[in-house]
This record gives sequence, structure tokens and C-alpha cells, in this order.
Amino acid sequence: MKQENMLAMILAGGRGTRLEALTKKVAKPAVFYGGKYRIIDFPLSNCANSGINVVGVLTQYESVLLNSYVAGGSRWGLDAKNSGVFVLPPREKEDTDFNIYRGTADAISQNIDFIDSHDPDYVLILSGDHIYKMDYSKMLAHHKACGADATIAVLGVPMKEASRFGIMNTDETDRIIEFEEKPEKPKSNLASMGIYIFDWKLLRKMLIADMDNPNSNHDFGKDIIPTMLEDNKKLYAWKYKGYWKDVGTIDSLWEANMDLLDKNNELDLSDPNWKIYTEDVCAMPHFVGEHGKIIRSYVNQGCVIDGEVTNSVLFTNVKINQDAKVNDSVIMPEAVIGAGAVLNRVIVAEGVKIAPNAVVGDPNSDEIELVAKNVR
Amino acid sequence: MCNAFGIINSEGSNVNVEGVQDYRPVGAFSFLGRYRIIDFPISNMTNSGVNHIQVYVKSKPRSLIEHLGTGRHYNLNSKRGKLHILYGENLSDSSFYNHDVAAYRANMSAIEEVNYPYVIIAPSYMIYAMDYSSLLNKHIESGADITMVYQSVEDARNEFINCDVLNLNKQKGVLSIERNRGNYKTRNISLETYVLSKELFISLVNKAANISSLYSFRDMLNDECSELDVRGVAHRGYFVAINDFKSYYHANMELININKAMTLFDDEWPIYTRTNDSAPTQYYACSDVHHSVVSNGCLIEGTVENSVIGRGCTLKKGCVVKDSVVLPGVMIGEDVHIEGAVVDKKAKITRVKELIADAEHPAYVKRGDRI
Repeated sequence: MKQENMLAMILAGGRGTRLEALTKKVAKPAVFYGGKYRIIDFPLSNCANSGINVVGVLTQYESVLLNSYVAGGSRWGLDAKNSGVFVLPPREKEDTDFNIYRGTADAISQNIDFIDSHDPDYVLILSGDHIYKMDYSKMLAHHKACGADATIAVLGVPMKEASRFGIMNTDETDRIIEFEEKPEKPKSNLASMGIYIFDWKLLRKMLIADMDNPNSNHDFGKDIIPTMLEDNKKLYAWKYKGYWKDVGTIDSLWEANMDLLDKNNELDLSDPNWKIYTEDVCAMPHFVGEHGKIIRSYVNQGCVIDGEVTNSVLFTNVKINQDAKVNDSVIMPEAVIGAGAVLNRVIVAEGVKIAPNAVVGDPNSDEIELVAKNVR
Repeated sequence: MCNAFGIINSEGSNVNVEGVQDYRPVGAFSFLGRYRIIDFPISNMTNSGVNHIQVYVKSKPRSLIEHLGTGRHYNLNSKRGKLHILYGENLSDSSFYNHDVAAYRANMSAIEEVNYPYVIIAPSYMIYAMDYSSLLNKHIESGADITMVYQSVEDARNEFINCDVLNLNKQKGVLSIERNRGNYKTRNISLETYVLSKELFISLVNKAANISSLYSFRDMLNDECSELDVRGVAHRGYFVAINDFKSYYHANMELININKAMTLFDDEWPIYTRTNDSAPTQYYACSDVHHSVVSNGCLIEGTVENSVIGRGCTLKKGCVVKDSVVLPGVMIGEDVHIEGAVVDKKAKITRVKELIADAEHPAYVKRGDRI
């Protein structure tokens, strides 16, 4: 099979400040999701399943865990010859000063040498903190069919929410004629997903110009895309249908986990033709004890459940002791819920211990509580 | 690091697991939903620092080879380690001739090439956890020619039938090996785990072939008990032999109890297996699951009680699975009631609504069967 000559770059430096303690020591793309995954498993698995062989991962904020997690690429099958996942934190170079990545476009600019060494025709820019399944090869086919200079994946959002997104206004051929960042009065509901395909030669030129522009934020949405539109380049929208979630806050992370509990949820992680790959943790199957009860929940291996679990997502090796009640909650790996404890609408962070009979969270609260420290 | 290579032996003619064994060797049997039996001896070896492991396959190698692959998932060193699957091409179809000695002789060059002075041999049909590096140290310190592992069991009248028994003197010297015919309650059951020098191993294999073409390695060892310094080392903890259908069923069932399971599983002694990247298991609103072991990738709408559910099973609304061992990829249809059964891989049960056996005589549903 002839390789589609497209290289992917995943922007994974995000801090995810609104995820509070969950991103204290790890970048947002490394945050846990869905019982066994980390958020970055989604773009990486999408790349692997779309036949992309070379993926650069741009890390910056708290990158130690993320770097070791993605390095090598074997977890996603991206470890054949001519294939690989390359960790790209900012680095000191021969001819320039050492600089952190100043923006999404600058992160790519600082790695032009890396991209050149793989000599791709197209470069796919992805964000490392979104949850969705997408076949990028279809997007590339669309890009080629349109003869586009750049293609932007867009998602139809409810009109009343459109002012929260970067909105693409298109003509009848899906060509983008205008881009508005968080418009007060949106003219369309096509929101940018932060997924771009560029012709590498063109993007390379634009990035070099952008690097030295003192007025630039060095950002794709704020600088590169508007400049391309001004230059009358051919930008096309590619409409994506399906599940997509930006889990930027504790509430939205909780919500995205809860979405998995729907019987016919759109994400469908059990689809054998589009598996999401992740770390292979060595754990037993999960054990449901004499007093255990599980209703409408998502449970990963290694859990030992002797309490009652309802509407919840349990990650690897979680222990729910006898008579504990866990409702509407997300319990991250290795957490221990003591006997008789009652949890409602919480996210329990990795390794946190909840003492016996503790009461955490409130079933009537609008907000989701993050429990990041042991509860006595 | 352990200064020995490992051999995982295929099961002898004393093992006969009705039904399940028609499709694969015992080592490839699904166990406790997620594992295959061979994961236990191989993990014991890799956890002990045994880096070169030979796995002998007698017949029907397909599922075993698929599962073992390169052995990378067993935490073997990718450069210095080796998982070598050895298949005796020209072996006889007769199970009496097709024994371990014949397999070792057919692969003698692969044995001679290994650059370790000692060999640790373990069976593929027994499940236990053991540190072979300390076993090897004991063997070397004792100065014995051969060290054998045994466990004293209290239920030899009904269990471990046709397994080997070690007759020991007071100094734990092995006097002879015989079969357990169920005549005594307490017996020292052999774990068929042997430590000896590679040199002695090769000479005994050749000697056995010269004595009788029906001699398996344990027959040879039995002969040598009077000639060589053969000693027994006791193993304590979880131990089970999957030598018939009943023991396969019961071994799965008894580990549903987490306290029992913790006598086999230990955080410090991981049991590795091949991942198949399945999602976590999804329980729907109408599911009702008690006292069971469930693997990843299942979709559960029905009732499960006192059962083991393998990877990627679908249990539809209204179904009841009780006292059963369900192997991976099985579909149990709406309102189907299954009790006391072993349901083999990828079976689909939809039309027959009731399949009830008692736990003493469990039923068996064939691999890929449509019922």
C-alpha cells in the first residue's frame, strides 16, 4: 500500500488550568478518561487507525509523564520501521535562542527541521486534549479532492452555543470565506475543531513569516488561518459528524465520562474496527464480591467491588469496599473507597483513599466535586 | 537474573479435559476470563528472571502460538530474552509415543544451543505462583542432582487423579514417583517442576529414549530416584492441576472468591497476558451482577451470579448466568438461563432458553456453537 504522505503533529503542551489538581503534575492530554484511557490516546489511536505513521507530540507544560507515556509509540502500534511517535519539547538550537513555545503555530515553527526530515506533502495539526474518533485519511481525501491549501475539520454545534467557538462561514462548496473567533452574532454553526491539514510547503512559508512578525500571537486560529484567508488561499471546511468533546473543566470531564454510560453512546469504545489503544496495565479481571452491585456503570480491570456502584466510571484497580455507595461518580486508578462511604457526583483522583463511612459530594449539587486528597 | 533457562512442558497423557481440549492444548485454555493457563508458568519464569523460555507444543498449536507471539507481553527483555516455541514436526499421532522425551529429542539442537548451565522445567497444565530463582539457589546449595517441587494436599482422593505423587523419605529425598489413583487422602502431589543441570537433562533425555520409546521424562526420573540425589522442595499456597473437565471448572469457580484469588495473585508477582485492547466492561441499567469475575470488553444487561465472564462477552437483557464459566467472545441471548456450564469461546446461545446442569456435573457448550 502506498503511504499517504501525511505527518501528524499533536499539540500537547496545554496546561488545562481549569482541571484543577488533575493537571497539577501532568499536562491536560495525560488526564485519565473512560476507565482506562488518557485523553491523548484518542488522537494517537486515530492516527494509527488512519494509517499515519509519523506523529510528533509537542509537549511543554509538566511533560515528564507525557513524554515517557507516548515515547516509542508501541502502545498504538506506531513502532514499525518508518514509523514512530516523536516527543518534541522546546529545545535549544544552534542558530536561535532557547524559547518556550509561544503559541500553537510557534510550536510547529520551532520544529520545521523535524518535519522537513520526514519530507511530508501534508501536515495534520491536532490537539491533544479532545475526545473523538476520526478517520483523518477521509479528511485528507477531501483536502485533495478540493485542491485545498488547507482543510479545517468543523463540527455543527447548537446555534445558541456557537458564540463560544471559532466559527467558520462557508460558501455552498464548503469553501471557508470567513473565520470569526467567538462571534457575538454567529452567522453559522460550524465550529473549528482545531484539526487542520495543510500543504506543508505553503505552511512552511507562512510559519517562517509568522515567526518574525512582532504583532503575531503565533497561533493557528488567531494568526495563520486569518492570514491565509486574507491572502485568498483555498481553505475548505470538512464536516465531521459524531462524538467530540473538549474536556476543559471538571464538569465537562465528568460529563464526558457519563456519556459512556448511555447504551448507544456515540463514541462506542467497543467498536472492534476502531479501537482506542492505551497502556496495557497488568491487572486481574474485575471482581464483584458477595455484597457487590453494579448498575449502569463502566468498569475496568483490576477493580474489586464489594459495595454498590451506580452510574459511575471505575478505572483500573479501584477498590470499593463493603457497603460503600458510589453514585454518579468517576473514580480514577488505584483509588480506595472505604467501607460504608457514600460518594455522590465526584471525581476521585488517582490513588486517593476515602475513609470508611465518609460522605463525599452532594447528590443535589450542580457542580462536580474533585476529590484530590485523601478523605479521613 | 537467573542462571537457568526454562522449559514449559506440554501436558502428558494423564491429562484429559473433555471438550475444551479438542480445540487447543491445556496451556492455551482460557482461565479466569482474562488469562490463558500458560500465562502462569511463563510469568513465574519471567518474574524469576528466567530470560530464555522454551515452550513445547504437542498438537493443535494455533491458539497457543497466536497468544504467545514474540513473548514481549511477558516482560521478557526484547534483546536478551527469548520465547522459543518448539513444535515436534515428525512426532507420532499416538499420544503414547508423542511424549515430552520425543519432543525434547526432536528439538535437541535448540536445547544444546542454550547458554545456561541449569534448566527449570514446569508443566503447562498447572497453576501456581513460585519464585524459581530461589528454587534454583536451593538446588545449587543442596548439591542435589535433581530438585522436584511438590505440594502436600488433603484432597488427593478426589482431586489430582493421575497426577504424579512423590514418595519422600524423612530428609525429603525422593524415593519414587507414582500416579495418584485416589487411594489416599493426603499425598505429596508433584508440581512436575524440576531443576537440574542442562548436562544431566540432556543425558537423561537420551537415556530415556534408549530404554523405551514409551518413556516420558517422569518415567526416567522415577528410575533415577534410586541412582541420583533427587530431592523434594515443598510449595505452599495456591496450587491446582487442570487435568480433567471438573478441575477446569472448579479452578475457575473457586477463584471467584477474592480472598482465595489473593492466594494466587500478588501485586509483587504480576501475571502477564496478551492485551486485546478492549474497552472497559459496560454494565447497563438492568444488569444485576453478584459474586463474579468479569473481564474487559463485555456488554452486560443480564443477571450474573457466581460466574466467570471472559473478555468481550455480550449478555443480553433478561438472561441469567449462574455458576458458570463463560469463555471470551460468547453471546448469551435474551432470557436465556444458563446454570452450571462451561461455555466455550465465541458460542452463541439464543434459541435454547434453558441450559441447566448442577455444579457437580457441569455442562459444556462447544467452541463457536450456535444454540
